[in-house]
Amino acid sequence: MTTIRRFSCNDLLRFASVNFDHLTETFNMSFYMTYLARWPDYFHVAEGPGNKVMGYIMGKVEGQGESWHGHVTAVTVASEYRRQQLAKKLMNLLEEISDKIDKAYFVDLFVRASNTPAIKMYEKLGYVIYRRVLRYYSGEEDGLDMRKALSRDVGKKSIIPLKRPVTPDELEYD
Amino acid sequence: MASKFGLAGGIPERRVRPIWDAIDSRQFKNALKHSTALLAKCPNSPYALALKSLILERMGKSDEALSVCLNAKELLYKNDSLLMDDLTLSTLQIVFQRLDRLDLATGCYEYACSKFPSNLELMMGLFNCYVREYSFVKQQQTAIKMYKLVGEERFLLWAVCSIQLQVFCGNGGEKLAMLAEGLLKKHVASHSLHEPEALMVYISILEQQEKYGDALEILSGQLGSLLVIEVDKLRIQGRLLARSGDYATSASIYQKILELCPDDWECFLHYLGCLLEDGSSWSNGANNDPINPPKPVDCKVSQLADEVFHSRISTSLAFVKKLQADTRNDFIRCPYLATLEIERRKRLHGKGNDDDIVEALMLYFLKFGHLASFSSDVEAFLQVLTPDKKTEFLAKLIKTLDSSATAPTKVLGQSITIFKIQELTGNMYKLPVLELEGCAIQMVEMYCKSLPLSKDLDPQESMHGEELLSMVCNVLVQLFWRTRHLGYFIEAIMVLEFGLTIRRYIWQYKILLLHLYSHLGAISLAYEWYRSLDVKNILMETVSHHILPQMLVSPLWGDLNNLLKDYLRFMDDHFRESADLTFLAYRHRNYSKVIEFVQFKERLQRSNQYLVARVETPILQLKQKADNIEEEEGVLENLNGGVHFVELSNEIGSKTLTFNEDFQSRPWWTPTTEKNYLLGPFEGVSYCPKENLIKEREENVRGVIEKKSLLPRMIYLSIHSASASLKESVEENGSISGSKISSEFKFLLERHAKMLGFSLSDAVEVVMGVSSGVKSFEAFGSDEIDWINFAVFLNAWNLNSHEPLQPNGDQCGRGIWYVVDTLLVKYISEKIKSMESLICSPRVDLPILVQLVTEPLAWHGLVIQSCVRSSLPSGKKKKKGGPVDQHSSLVFNDIRDSIQSLCDTVKEVAKWIRGQIDRPEDESVEIMLSSLRKKEQDEGPGRVFHVLECLIPSINEAELGDRISQELKTWSPLDVARKIVTGDSTLLSQFLNICESKIKSFQALNQQIAQI
Repeated sequence: MTTIRRFSCNDLLRFASVNFDHLTETFNMSFYMTYLARWPDYFHVAEGPGNKVMGYIMGKVEGQGESWHGHVTAVTVASEYRRQQLAKKLMNLLEEISDKIDKAYFVDLFVRASNTPAIKMYEKLGYVIYRRVLRYYSGEEDGLDMRKALSRDVGKKSIIPLKRPVTPDELEYD
Repeated sequence: MASKFGLAGGIPERRVRPIWDAIDSRQFKNALKHSTALLAKCPNSPYALALKSLILERMGKSDEALSVCLNAKELLYKNDSLLMDDLTLSTLQIVFQRLDRLDLATGCYEYACSKFPSNLELMMGLFNCYVREYSFVKQQQTAIKMYKLVGEERFLLWAVCSIQLQVFCGNGGEKLAMLAEGLLKKHVASHSLHEPEALMVYISILEQQEKYGDALEILSGQLGSLLVIEVDKLRIQGRLLARSGDYATSASIYQKILELCPDDWECFLHYLGCLLEDGSSWSNGANNDPINPPKPVDCKVSQLADEVFHSRISTSLAFVKKLQADTRNDFIRCPYLATLEIERRKRLHGKGNDDDIVEALMLYFLKFGHLASFSSDVEAFLQVLTPDKKTEFLAKLIKTLDSSATAPTKVLGQSITIFKIQELTGNMYKLPVLELEGCAIQMVEMYCKSLPLSKDLDPQESMHGEELLSMVCNVLVQLFWRTRHLGYFIEAIMVLEFGLTIRRYIWQYKILLLHLYSHLGAISLAYEWYRSLDVKNILMETVSHHILPQMLVSPLWGDLNNLLKDYLRFMDDHFRESADLTFLAYRHRNYSKVIEFVQFKERLQRSNQYLVARVETPILQLKQKADNIEEEEGVLENLNGGVHFVELSNEIGSKTLTFNEDFQSRPWWTPTTEKNYLLGPFEGVSYCPKENLIKEREENVRGVIEKKSLLPRMIYLSIHSASASLKESVEENGSISGSKISSEFKFLLERHAKMLGFSLSDAVEVVMGVSSGVKSFEAFGSDEIDWINFAVFLNAWNLNSHEPLQPNGDQCGRGIWYVVDTLLVKYISEKIKSMESLICSPRVDLPILVQLVTEPLAWHGLVIQSCVRSSLPSGKKKKKGGPVDQHSSLVFNDIRDSIQSLCDTVKEVAKWIRGQIDRPEDESVEIMLSSLRKKEQDEGPGRVFHVLECLIPSINEAELGDRISQELKTWSPLDVARKIVTGDSTLLSQFLNICESKIKSFQALNQQIAQI
């Protein structure tokens, strides 16, 4: 039971039950607002009956040439609405926008190497581990850069895994 | 900064580059060195000066930075031949902004634009300045100039947004919308539009003027193709049609959307609303608060004739059935919940019946009853059922569960749902104590049995059945409320602590625990759990209500200070940076976000919690420094004597406040910050629907802010009044005269009394009455602290005023001084006597005791300090004999007595605290645990706990898996009990410190007064 619509500032006042989750980061205001100001099509909220926030996805589109890609910055679902494939729905939406509107080559995301449930979920959604980013999270935990090719990347070149891990300063984008 | 290379501000790049690099790497000293060298070569370059001021500002030398910046500005203005480039101006702008002088930055750009009227870059800079200043009219004018200059779509839209801002956030009338429409129309005719966001703005301008037909025409024309996602376009069409009253076409549009997105619940509500010609969801009523939307029950009863109504209902039912048939996905709930909504509408129309609703509920349960969201999905539908039907529904549910045999997680999900429905309908709480206990036992047993289902789950994932322990807690708190057996309360704590031992991430348990500990009086433990929730950034606005009110009346001043500081810093940072983010939205052509950002900033600025925090922060400082009058005066000086807060108090009545707190996660027994059912007698309230309580709260918060913002000024006046009473005038200190103090003070006292619901003279009578014992303390109601504060300030005023307090009463200061002492001593002693140990009952009076000592007693202490200080021989002039001395000596007697009795009272508090802290820990722990260790067959607390205790020895590692088994082994109720006792000591020790500091201060005063 999901009305998916663009995320608005007021949703920041209603997403507490989603953000209480220990793996969901509550960013500072300029972070959210920069995403809203620059990539409003990549920031969506799912609402349930009674206008309850079920979850949301935030992302962006960036890169040059064949690196032009959609990026998932955060996707999260409130515990009450888990196990209903909502994250999948939100991810599909972002992929569709990256693919159809912005004609990106791939979508990527970073995930904690220890977050097995999330990694499994992304794999189910068609993402592959493209490379490992050493000490990506606060200089402590490794991150995995996962990718899914879009229709423009016909040969699926963008997702051929790298052989060696990289360090955060080797990343092309933040 | 280092990105813009080339000729910079008229200086070759190679010369400025080292400065940029040094600034970028935060080597400001080095940067300053380079800058000095550069200025030696180009002493009159505004850019070189601007760079210097930037460095100085970063080094914290604000005054110097401003002066250099002004110098640069002057040079810019003076020499017309100088280059007026954006780099120089934007550097100056940064410095001016950081120095909080936006006006100067704007002035620079205005000047530059007047010199070079066709320089687009400068004009954009000027526009940005106006965005920062929220000068919507000037934004509009500047944008129009840019548009005229280059004819670009974006500048026209900047102007249109600025117009919309005048309408939404300023004083702009509706005519402005017409102007915006005209501008857009003309542009579209010659250039069309190229951005989807531009189209959205165009449509919203038309919608604002109720020109729905025009908007629809544009949308279906060529411009409509700008919206690539079909559903987005359809949604706008549906809305416009419904608003125009064309419900039939609108319904067909919504039907189309539902065919594409069958799970879109909001869309279904619109569809049904249109079919039944109910426009309530489209009206721009006062209920349109995006944060607190109206309840679904509030929709309008259909006005359609019965026949038409029936046919529309059949149409909707047929469509919903078709949707159900067409969707294969097991997770799509909307078409099924839709039948419930249709039944509900029928009932609202007087044509349906409860049986049909129950049947629809049952069907929904069979399909989705195992989902955690089931009960919140159906909440609104349950509310329309009669109590009997609710019971019938429950009975049916239980029967269904028995007859179904599906996967274990599904059965568990359904069983939890049934408990939740019992909770939601209130049926559970109608049970007698024994059965209610039975319910809790059933739940906790189910939890234990379901643990093996989570065996293979990652520790990061929620476990199956986690909600059960929250429900157990709810039941146990209900049992505590009914029976006042503290054992149930402790049991609730144990159950949740147990749950967190197994998996430490469950925020729902943490919130419940923080409220349990708060109610128990163990605020330090509550705060610990609050901190573990990692509340930061915008969450501070929405969820700090869980802890802030309790902390405000606690002795944990350090923690409270951090809480308030972090929150205010967050809010103020946002207010500072919001305009720059708005400009970012302009630049990226996301015009709808421009309006949204400005409105959001305004919403936060009007936040009730923000205002409360702004008032409470200085009050906390005043409490912290109250034992030292010089330090207190330092605080008051920074507050400008409290005059701004008096202004706030005057204005608060006319301010529109916003309420951004998210109360959804609060426990049933305290649904808002103002309510705690456990403080009152058992009322049989079982389920407390989270209603929209904003109106009620608004009045309350206004009152609190109005009252509290007078405090700093009252304290300031008290100190001055007391000293003026002993000196003829304090004008020699450059301060205000005694008579001025007296008249202002009286005015504030009258206001204070009015807020308590009395005239000044009547309030005086109440205070006198309570002090003399003619009236009981109950006369103060729940405003006791405000009343005693009133008495303290009344005395301070009376010291210096020559007006009689009561027509026939004691006319010298002595009487009221005695009244204040008596009130404080009596009230504090009474509170100490009534308070038991935490292990016997929740210490609900502790916050009052803390407030008594840290507020009225502290303010009264300041009056005493002020009197003593003014009486001490200053060495410069000798006191002359005469009437002043006679008056003084009377006052001295009062002061001596007062110091003695207050000191004794605080000692009494300290003694009580020590008594609590010094209790043998093991004894307290034992008492707490023994309340839970009852025999199994007994009624009373301990039976739920017993289930958990039995689980540990019977751990089957193979069944539960390694992780859960290991966590279970670490469970120790003894540790929890010990934690409670230690937590209590931590809190009380902080209070003891406060008391000891006051005792010392009184003792010092005693010595000083002995010298006079």
